[in-house]
Amino acid sequence: MLGYALWRLLQAAISVFGVITIVFVVMHFSGDPTLLLVPQGASAEQIETLRHQLGFDQPVWVQYLAYLGGLLQGDFGQSVVQRAPAFGIVLSRLPYTIELAIGALIVAIGVGLPVGMLMATYRGTALERALAAVVLTGQSVPTFLSGILLIMVFAVQLHWLPTSGVGDVRFLVMPSIALGALSMSTFARMTRIAMVDELGKDYVRAALARGLSMRAVVLRHVLRNSAIPVITIAALEIGNLLAGAVIVETVFAWPGIGQLAIQSIQSRDFLVVQVIVLLISFIYVATSVAADFAYAAIDPRIRLAR
Amino acid sequence: MSVLQPVRRFRPRLPRVPLSIMLVSAIILVIVAVALLAPWIAPADPLRQDLLGRLKPPGTVGRTGVTYLLGTDDLGRDLLSRILYGARVSLSVAVLSVLVSTLVGVTLGMMAGWFRGWTDTVIMRLVDIMLSIPAILLAVLTVAVLGPGFLKLVLVLGLTRWPRYTRVAYAQTLQVANLPYIKASELAGAGAARILFRHVLPNIAGPILIVATAEFGLMILFEAGLSFLGLGIQPPSASWGSIMSVGRQYVERAWWIVAFPGACLFLLVLSVNVLGDWLRDRLDPRSRIR
Amino acid sequence: MLRLLAATTLAMGLLAAPVLAQDAKDTLTIDLPNDAATLDPHLQWDTDSYTIYRNIFDNLVTRDAAGEIVPQIATKWSYENDTTLDFDIRDDVTFHDGSKLTADDVAFSINRIIDPALKSPQFSQFSPIDKAEAVSPTKVRITTKSPYPAMLAQLVKLSIVPKAYLEKVGDQGFNAKPVGSGPYKLVDHQQGVRTDLEANADYWRGKPPFAHVTFRAVPDVSTRIADLKTGQADLVRDVPPDQAISLKDDPSVQILSVATERVGYMYMNAQSGPTKDARVRQAIAYAIDQQGLIDALLQGYGKPVNIIGAPPVFGYTDAVEGYAYDPDKARELVKEAGAEGAKIEFLTSPSYNRALVEALQQMINDAGLDTEITSTDQATFLKRRQGDPANAGSVAIGRWSCACQDADGIIYPLFRTGSTWAKYSNPDFDAAVDAARSTLDEAERLKDYKTAYEILRTDVPGIGLYQDFAVYGANPHLTWQPTPNESMFVMDMAWKN
Repeated sequence: MLGYALWRLLQAAISVFGVITIVFVVMHFSGDPTLLLVPQGASAEQIETLRHQLGFDQPVWVQYLAYLGGLLQGDFGQSVVQRAPAFGIVLSRLPYTIELAIGALIVAIGVGLPVGMLMATYRGTALERALAAVVLTGQSVPTFLSGILLIMVFAVQLHWLPTSGVGDVRFLVMPSIALGALSMSTFARMTRIAMVDELGKDYVRAALARGLSMRAVVLRHVLRNSAIPVITIAALEIGNLLAGAVIVETVFAWPGIGQLAIQSIQSRDFLVVQVIVLLISFIYVATSVAADFAYAAIDPRIRLAR
Repeated sequence: MSVLQPVRRFRPRLPRVPLSIMLVSAIILVIVAVALLAPWIAPADPLRQDLLGRLKPPGTVGRTGVTYLLGTDDLGRDLLSRILYGARVSLSVAVLSVLVSTLVGVTLGMMAGWFRGWTDTVIMRLVDIMLSIPAILLAVLTVAVLGPGFLKLVLVLGLTRWPRYTRVAYAQTLQVANLPYIKASELAGAGAARILFRHVLPNIAGPILIVATAEFGLMILFEAGLSFLGLGIQPPSASWGSIMSVGRQYVERAWWIVAFPGACLFLLVLSVNVLGDWLRDRLDPRSRIR
Repeated sequence: MLRLLAATTLAMGLLAAPVLAQDAKDTLTIDLPNDAATLDPHLQWDTDSYTIYRNIFDNLVTRDAAGEIVPQIATKWSYENDTTLDFDIRDDVTFHDGSKLTADDVAFSINRIIDPALKSPQFSQFSPIDKAEAVSPTKVRITTKSPYPAMLAQLVKLSIVPKAYLEKVGDQGFNAKPVGSGPYKLVDHQQGVRTDLEANADYWRGKPPFAHVTFRAVPDVSTRIADLKTGQADLVRDVPPDQAISLKDDPSVQILSVATERVGYMYMNAQSGPTKDARVRQAIAYAIDQQGLIDALLQGYGKPVNIIGAPPVFGYTDAVEGYAYDPDKARELVKEAGAEGAKIEFLTSPSYNRALVEALQQMINDAGLDTEITSTDQATFLKRRQGDPANAGSVAIGRWSCACQDADGIIYPLFRTGSTWAKYSNPDFDAAVDAARSTLDEAERLKDYKTAYEILRTDVPGIGLYQDFAVYGANPHLTWQPTPNESMFVMDMAWKN
C-alpha cells in the first residue's frame, strides 16, 4: 500500500512537470510581451533593447533551462508586467479563488445532489422531467450572459446585492450562483444515474425481498455505492469550475486566479501563468490522487496494488 | 417507503417513445433542418448591413421592404437570418468537436482500463496533465499559437476536452472488465480490440453518451465563451454564442439580439440532454435486464 | 479584516441611503478595466497604471485645460542651446515622507528611466536625453543627444520620485510602497483588486477634493456601467457610444466627453498583398463613409478627419484634403488595378471596435474586394502588425495617441521607414518627418508636417477615420472637465451636491 502511494505520488510529480513544460513551450510559441510593454511609438531598436533586457531574445530552451534552474532553487521568477515575484502575485489571489470555488460547490452540490436523488426516485414521472429542465437551465445559458442578467436584476433593479468586486459574503452570492449553476445539473444527472444503476442491481432486489425497507436499502447501500461516479465528477468539476471561473471572475470583477490567468496569458506574462498552471495542476493532481484512494476505500473490487 | 415505488414499476421491453422525447427530438430535428436549409429559408442575407437600420425591434419593415421578423443587430443585419446561419456554426462546432474528443478519449480510456500496467499509467498521466490545465486557458493559448478559424476551433475544443471521456471510459471499463461474460470471452481467446469494441463499448456507452450530451451543450457554451473573449468564430460569420456575446451589451436597449439566440441555444441544449438521458436507458444493457 | 469592514460599510451605505451619502463625499471610487500593474511610475506603460500613479506623483511640467504646456514642479525653463534645456524648480514641495523635493530628485528621476538597467518600458520616450543633472538645488539641466522638439511634451509624463527614499528601499520596495509628492498618497494596494489613496493634506497646490480615492479593477464594461448605475462607482472610463446614448436618459448618471488627440485610423499594407498597388489603397480610402460610421457606430462621439491627426495635435493641418466617400470611384480604381475579388486580410483583436471592423469590411467589399477578418488576441495582433510586411495583413484599424499631442508621435512611428509599424517606405516622407524631428523652429516643423501629410495623401499607406472622443460615465454630482490627452487627475475634480 505504501509502495503504491509512493508510486502514485511519483506519477503525480511527473504530471506536474509535464504540465509546466507543455505550457512553457506553448506560451513561448505564442510570442513575447515586449510589444505590449513598450509605448506604441517605440522604435525597432528600442523594442529589441527591451526584449534583450528582459531575456526574450534567448532561445526557448535556454529560457526553459533558466526557468527550471530557478524552480530548483525555489525561485518562481518575476512578473515582467508587475515587476514583482510571480509566486507572491498568484498567492495573493488564491484566497479569492478558493472562496468562489467553495461558494460554487455549495450551490452546485446543494442543489444538484438532492435534485438528483429526487429524479432517481421519481424516475419516469413528470416531476423528474421538470426537475431536469430546472437544473439544466443553469447549464444552458452562457455565464457572460447569466452574470450580467444577475447583476441587472439583483444589483441594478432590486439593490439587494453589490454589483461587483469583493467584500463581505454578499459579494460572493452572485458569482457563486453564476458559477455553481454550470455544475448543478452535472451533479444532479450523475447522482441520478448512479442511484438508478444501484437501484436496479440484484442485491437491492434481494434486500427488498428479504424484507428490508427501501429507505434502509438506499441509505445503507445505494448511496454508498452511487458515490463512485459522483466523486469522479466532483474531482472533474474542480477543473471545470476553474475554467468557468475565468469568465465569471471577469464579469463580476472577482480578483481570483482565473481572471489573473486570462490577463496574464493575454499580456504574455509567462512566469505568472507558469505559477498558476503549476498551482492548478498541483491541486488537480492532489484531488485525483485522493479520488483514486477514495475509490479503493469505497469499492474494494478496484484493487490498488499491482 | 412508498415514494420509491415508481422505480420498480413494470417497464415494457419494446421502446415506447414518451411524448416528451418525441417533443425534444422534434426540436432537435427542426434545428438541424434549419441549419441545413439556412441558405434557402433565410429571408435576407445574414451579412448585409444597414447602418441606418441598426437595433430595430422585431417586426420592423426595413428600407428595402424586408420585414425584420426578429429585428436587427448592431449593424442593421437581419437577426432571423443570422440565427438561422448561426445554427449551422454552433451545431457543427459542437458536433465535430464532440466527435473528435469522443473518438480520442474513449479509445484511450478503454485501452487504459483494459490493459492496465504501463498503458494505464501513461494514458492516465497524460489525462492528468491535460485535465489539470483549465480547458479555457489551454484553448486561449492554443488559439494564440494556431491562429483563429473554424477547423482550428474544432480541433482546439476537441483536443482539450477528450480527457473527460477518458476518465469516464476508464472508470467504467474497470468495472465492466470484471463482468463474468467478458471474463469468459477473454478466456475464450477473443482479441483485445474485439472485446473492447464488441463487449466493453456497449456496456460503457451509456455513461459516455451522458458525457457526450453534456459536453455537446458545454461545447456550444465554450465556443460562446471564446467569442466573449474575442477568440471564437471569426466575424462576420456568427454562432449563437457570438451573437449573444455581442447582444449582451444591448440587453436593455435591444433585448432581442440576446433573447432569441439565447432561447434557441437553451432549447437545443435542453433537448439534447433530455434525449441523451432517455437513450441511455435504452442503450445500457443493465437497464435492459430489468 | 479591514478590507471586509470597509467593504461592508461601503455596501451598507449604498443600500441604506444613497442620497445621504452624497452630503459628505469622502471617497471617490473610480472603476478601471485593470488594476495598476505597478505603482512605480517608471516601470510601466499602460493606461490604467498611468491613470492611478499620476495622482501620487507630480510632473515637471503639465498641460492646462487648453492643452498648453504649463509649469508644475518646474517654474520656468529655457533653452541654453538646441540640446541643452534648463529648468528652475519649486523649492516648496515635499514628498509624502516629509523630505524636500530638490533638483537632485528631478535629475535622478530622468536618469533612472534612461538607465538600461531599470529595463523601463518608457525608455524610448526619454532615450534622446543624454543626461540630466542638478546644477543647484533648484536648477536642473537636461542635455539631449540632438535637438529634441517633443521633449517638453514627453516631460509632461515624467513622474518625479524621491531619490533618497528610493535608494534606501530599493526598486522592489519602492514598487510595493511608492512615495511621491502628488495630491494623494498610497494607503493600500491590493494587486489586481483595488488601490486606495488618501489625500495629501499638505499638498502644495492646495487641499485635494476628496479625502480618499479608490481605484477598482473591473474588467467587463457592462459591469462597470452597472457599478455606475448602482453608485458603487463614481466614475468609469471608455463607455461605448451606444451605452453612452442609453445612459444619457438615466438621471443617476451623467456622460462626460471630450474630443481627444487620439485618432482612429486604418493602416494599409503598401509593401505586400493586393494593397501594394496604390490604386487599391486609394480605392479603399474612397470606399469608406466616415460620416456614416461616425453617425451610426460612434453615435456622434467622433469627428471626421482629413488626415491621421486631430486638431489638438501639433502639426495638424486642415490644408490637406481627405478622401471623400465615393463608392463608384472606389470600384473603378479596383477594376483599373485588376484587383476585383482580391483577398484583403483585415487584422484585428478584441481591443478594437468589432462593429467598426465589420462595417469597414462591408464597405471595402462593396468596392469589389474580398475582405476576410482575422481576429486574434492583442499580443498576436501586434506581433503580426509590427512584424514582417508579408505577414502583416492588408489592413487594420487602430486608435492612435502618443499622449504627447505632436505629429512626431503619430506619423513618425506609423510610417517612417524602419519603424515597426510602417509597411511603407518613401524617402521624401522620411526626409520631411526627420527634418521636423530635428529642429526646434515651430514654423519649420509645421511646414514639414504639411509636406509629410501631403505625401501620405498621395501614397495612402493609411487614412484617418475619425477623431476619437473620450467618453466617461460619472455620478451626476461629479464636476470635471475631461482633457484631450485623456489624463484623469482627481485634483481637477470636484463634488457638488
